[in-house]
Amino acid sequence: MNAHAPETAFTLNGRPVSVVAEPFARLANVLRDQLGAIGTKIGCDAGDCGACTVLLDGRQVCACLVPLAQAAGAEVRTVEGLAENGALSAVQAAFLAHGAAQCGICTPGMLMAASDLLQREPKPSEAAVKDALGGVLCRCTGYRKIIEAVMDAHRFAGTTAGDVCAAPAKGRAVGAAMVRADGLAKVTGTDLFGADAAPSDALWLRALRSPHARARFTLGDLEAVQRRHPGVEAILTAADVPGENSFGIYPDLKDQPVFAEGFVRYRGEVVLALVGERAAVEAVPFDDDLVTWQPEDPVMGVVAALRNGAPAIHGNRPDNVLAEGRLEKGDVESALASAEALAVDELATAYVEHAYIEPEAGYAQRIGPNGARIEVAASTQAPYLDRDEVARVLGIDKSAVRIVPTACGGGFGGKLDVSVQPLLAVAAWVLKRPVRCVYSRIESMAASTKRHPARIKASAAAGRDGLLTAIRLEADFDTGAYASWGPTVADRVPVHGSGPYFVPNVFVHSQAIYTNGTPSGAFRGFGVPQAAILQESLYDDLAAQVGLDPLEFRLRNALRPGQPTATGQVLEHSAGLAQCLEALQPHWRRLRGEAEDQNRIGNGRTRRGVGIGCMWYGCGNTSLPNPSTMRITLDRAGRLTFFNGAVDIGQGSTTVLLQICADALGLETSAFEMVLGDTDRTADAGKTSASRQTFVSGKAAYLAGRDLRAKLLRLANVGDTAEIDLQGGTLRIGDGAQATDIDLAALPVEEGGETVLSGTGTFDPPTTPLDEKGQGNPYATYGFAAQIADLEVDMELGTIHLRRFVAAHDLGKAINPSLVEGQIHGGIAQGIGLALMEEFLPGRTENLHDYLIPTIGDVPPIDIILVEDPEHLGPYGAKGIGEPALIATAPAIFGAIRHATGVKVRKVPLLPHRLLQALRSKP
Amino acid sequence: MYNFNYYRPLSLEEAAQVLSAASDGKLMSGGMTLIPTLKQRLANPSDLVDLSEIADLSGIEAKGDTVVIGATTTHAEVADSEVVKSQIPALAALAESIGDPQVRNRGTIGGSIANNDPAADYPAGLLGLGATIKTDRRQIPADDFFTGMFETALEEGEIVTAVSVPIPKKAAYAKFPNPASRYAIVGVMVAQGPAGTRVAVTGAGPGVFRVAKMETALEKNFSANAIEGISVPAKGLNADMHASADYRAHLVGVMARRAVTAAG
Repeated sequence: MNAHAPETAFTLNGRPVSVVAEPFARLANVLRDQLGAIGTKIGCDAGDCGACTVLLDGRQVCACLVPLAQAAGAEVRTVEGLAENGALSAVQAAFLAHGAAQCGICTPGMLMAASDLLQREPKPSEAAVKDALGGVLCRCTGYRKIIEAVMDAHRFAGTTAGDVCAAPAKGRAVGAAMVRADGLAKVTGTDLFGADAAPSDALWLRALRSPHARARFTLGDLEAVQRRHPGVEAILTAADVPGENSFGIYPDLKDQPVFAEGFVRYRGEVVLALVGERAAVEAVPFDDDLVTWQPEDPVMGVVAALRNGAPAIHGNRPDNVLAEGRLEKGDVESALASAEALAVDELATAYVEHAYIEPEAGYAQRIGPNGARIEVAASTQAPYLDRDEVARVLGIDKSAVRIVPTACGGGFGGKLDVSVQPLLAVAAWVLKRPVRCVYSRIESMAASTKRHPARIKASAAAGRDGLLTAIRLEADFDTGAYASWGPTVADRVPVHGSGPYFVPNVFVHSQAIYTNGTPSGAFRGFGVPQAAILQESLYDDLAAQVGLDPLEFRLRNALRPGQPTATGQVLEHSAGLAQCLEALQPHWRRLRGEAEDQNRIGNGRTRRGVGIGCMWYGCGNTSLPNPSTMRITLDRAGRLTFFNGAVDIGQGSTTVLLQICADALGLETSAFEMVLGDTDRTADAGKTSASRQTFVSGKAAYLAGRDLRAKLLRLANVGDTAEIDLQGGTLRIGDGAQATDIDLAALPVEEGGETVLSGTGTFDPPTTPLDEKGQGNPYATYGFAAQIADLEVDMELGTIHLRRFVAAHDLGKAINPSLVEGQIHGGIAQGIGLALMEEFLPGRTENLHDYLIPTIGDVPPIDIILVEDPEHLGPYGAKGIGEPALIATAPAIFGAIRHATGVKVRKVPLLPHRLLQALRSKP
Repeated sequence: MYNFNYYRPLSLEEAAQVLSAASDGKLMSGGMTLIPTLKQRLANPSDLVDLSEIADLSGIEAKGDTVVIGATTTHAEVADSEVVKSQIPALAALAESIGDPQVRNRGTIGGSIANNDPAADYPAGLLGLGATIKTDRRQIPADDFFTGMFETALEEGEIVTAVSVPIPKKAAYAKFPNPASRYAIVGVMVAQGPAGTRVAVTGAGPGVFRVAKMETALEKNFSANAIEGISVPAKGLNADMHASADYRAHLVGVMARRAVTAAG
């Protein structure tokens, strides 16, 4: 083997390096594992996602597809090489200033692709940026701020991090578009994600998963296999789980095994885990020596699962119905029977994959005296849920578990369930060694939860006056093999099924149905986006029947303060749909007019359409407590620390909560040090889901700030208008001659520590239980939005060219307008995917080239209108934006397609061949 | 991936030698297809011969009424080449439409045609332009080179060294791409020139093919209208989650007409 050179030399960021590795080792692994350059991320390891983009002799390449030998003698530049002499590169500074990084996992790849372009074209056009960055996928940002940042980078030459990240003035943090507090780490590639760090002696865990959707299996002679593969330290199975071999979101629905026991219910289910040296565990063939299979016919889809005599997925649910939701208000049957305008239709939607660019990853190790505790560091949205699951699986007390969330490279609901956590915990506990694991892209897509596929039927009625009178909606959701968040979907859909309107008569029935599909779980909107597509389509039908423009119809029916919702809840304030619609009106008239003119004079090969979609979404858990607690401490040396257990998955809660608590206390955001999401050090802030962190944890942060402020003011015996200053160990309260200086070191410390004063805030939004007819106050507040989609349909191809979105959102108060825009952009991008591209097929689209997500070329300009109708319960009037950003998008797109072509969507995604077929079969 | 021997020869002769000595040798240049294939253990070669270090396999030059492109010339080099852009702009545009910048910076024309993926762009480009493929042994007309799905006329151990593309009078490539990979769901190269009037289709079938009826019609009247009613049968075309066979058949017509219009 002539090329078996033990050593390969190249230049890394201007510095000569040499590594000893196989010549065919891939550059991405060499950079990360041997040279410590972890800023280069691996998202798919197949050249699809571009997260590993580096410059090779000045040109962008996917480092995962470059054999080390081909880098010999070359110049390699990674994100670590962008900042020079401590100054950020212009494009890094522009990314910070524009809010172009959210979770940050794609950021290094984006920056390198942009650097390739900018060295040749310092002031690129939008088209040039889209072309140059077309090979890097982002799931958070919707790309718009990335495009802006790259086009604008030339203005940031010579900018320092300090210039860009300057803190807002004291008392002015809320409402400021400040740069995200964790932004610098994201643009310099130093943020540590799940795969980026582990103890140096950690063993590698490889899970082996069922290739069958339903099968019985027998384990082979595992000890013999292990003996044949030196370096494999253990082959773990269900028998090795010290505690309960099961997990699940609901306390009474822990139905998913850590390791399957003789029977698998979906393709991707874990059967066993190999633990040992990485090369050794990766070399073990997954064959009959390990497992022999007796496949059975899987039950796929809700129709098959509900058929008489269908095999049960779980013995305790013979009818395969996991959960049901129901809402009854008024008399729907009479209202439908006497309708002056009546619309009836149905819809089927697909599995949707979260496609976060960071696959699940982390490590676990025993900690504490005698290794009596376990620590799990992993990418997660829910550290306290993880803690409880790990404790249960290990059979130990919750207090013996420490969860340390890593930076989370995108979640969107998919990292609310445990993934690597129980596997790693069992392995590290049993072997008494640190163990790490990184899912492959294929594994991540096969194993992780999805958006529920839905089959929905609905009827809606209105009077000739254009007022809605009734809606009846029945939705069956494919919840897959395990419960996960299925009951939440079944609960949320009835509440939201009638849309953000006043409808006097409502009937909604929802079911989550077990099948042998991939488990469906939480995904931005919990079933509401699917139901909203059909509900909004029916309201378009009714508008047409009564001769009203779609926006006018929605405005006439918009839920207003004082009107009861379908659950009988009366929103007294912050119900801003009408304001959103009024704000859209001039855009709507102009764009509709332009579209109609264009279609009149056009050749018919393309047709333009403009549609509208509205939404509402309850922030927080449905009729369940979901408290959050935040804490701030001040120590003898004047160190102010914010203990924040809310996990920032890219949306920006770390920054938003800091802004809130800074203003509530009356100090600058720069005065705080932060401790984030470590279950040993922070209180339970609840999970990052249900658009609750700004509203719920934000309120807790506000209360904590106020609590500490009250204690400080008491020291000087002054009122709430007094200014506070912190200079080292001296606290100054009040102004000028009136000021009181307090020596913090002279104050008594709180039990045992250095802390002299602390503030705590807890908030649990007030809700009431829903009765058997679904009546009650399920949420303390709701976000509202209306979005316009403007697009062109290629009538020959059935393809859609999106021209523009105009999005009006009532979010109470924008704590950080830049982050809010980022949420709206990203939500719209995911809405585009849901509507037009994304269809997960188990076993067939478990990669990022067969599974399509929006790329940088797919997201058009987005105009944002923020409506701030304050929510009095929320911090500074704020409520959530995470999910509201997505829900209105698909309905707006489908409304626009209908406007352009007359075609109504019945199967989502509306892929080109489906739209073409619909165009051809149109009467 | 499985273990294999890896070689990076500096000359064509050395490459041919290593390849002939291997029990199951494979050639590689940019590796854009082969590396993911190896990683998923879908290939298990005994030896891998990397051609990327052989200097005279790369480059572009105009030779008489042809443009000659070396086998290890990247897609980006073809797309950016002043020679290609001025002489055969349709081919430059085709190269520019391949994958993403990362793929174009590594992937090569020789690798693309030797692999002959049924959805690759270059097979339609070379067949549509009537190119000739040069190897270390002979010259093969594109009409004879692409023999089926991932199949070519290359013999055991034969190495593509260059392609020679006649400069057409007019030509254009129209593609309906897979939105992620940018592989052709259907791509059509239409050209008129020294190699006659040609319509070559990739992505639709098990391999690249010509549409004789369209060529005859365009020979008489090079306009989109001339092929308006001509369709290819859906039977035997590819069908997958991205497009049915019927849809692909439909796309062949639309893309051919768009290519003709673009060719002018």
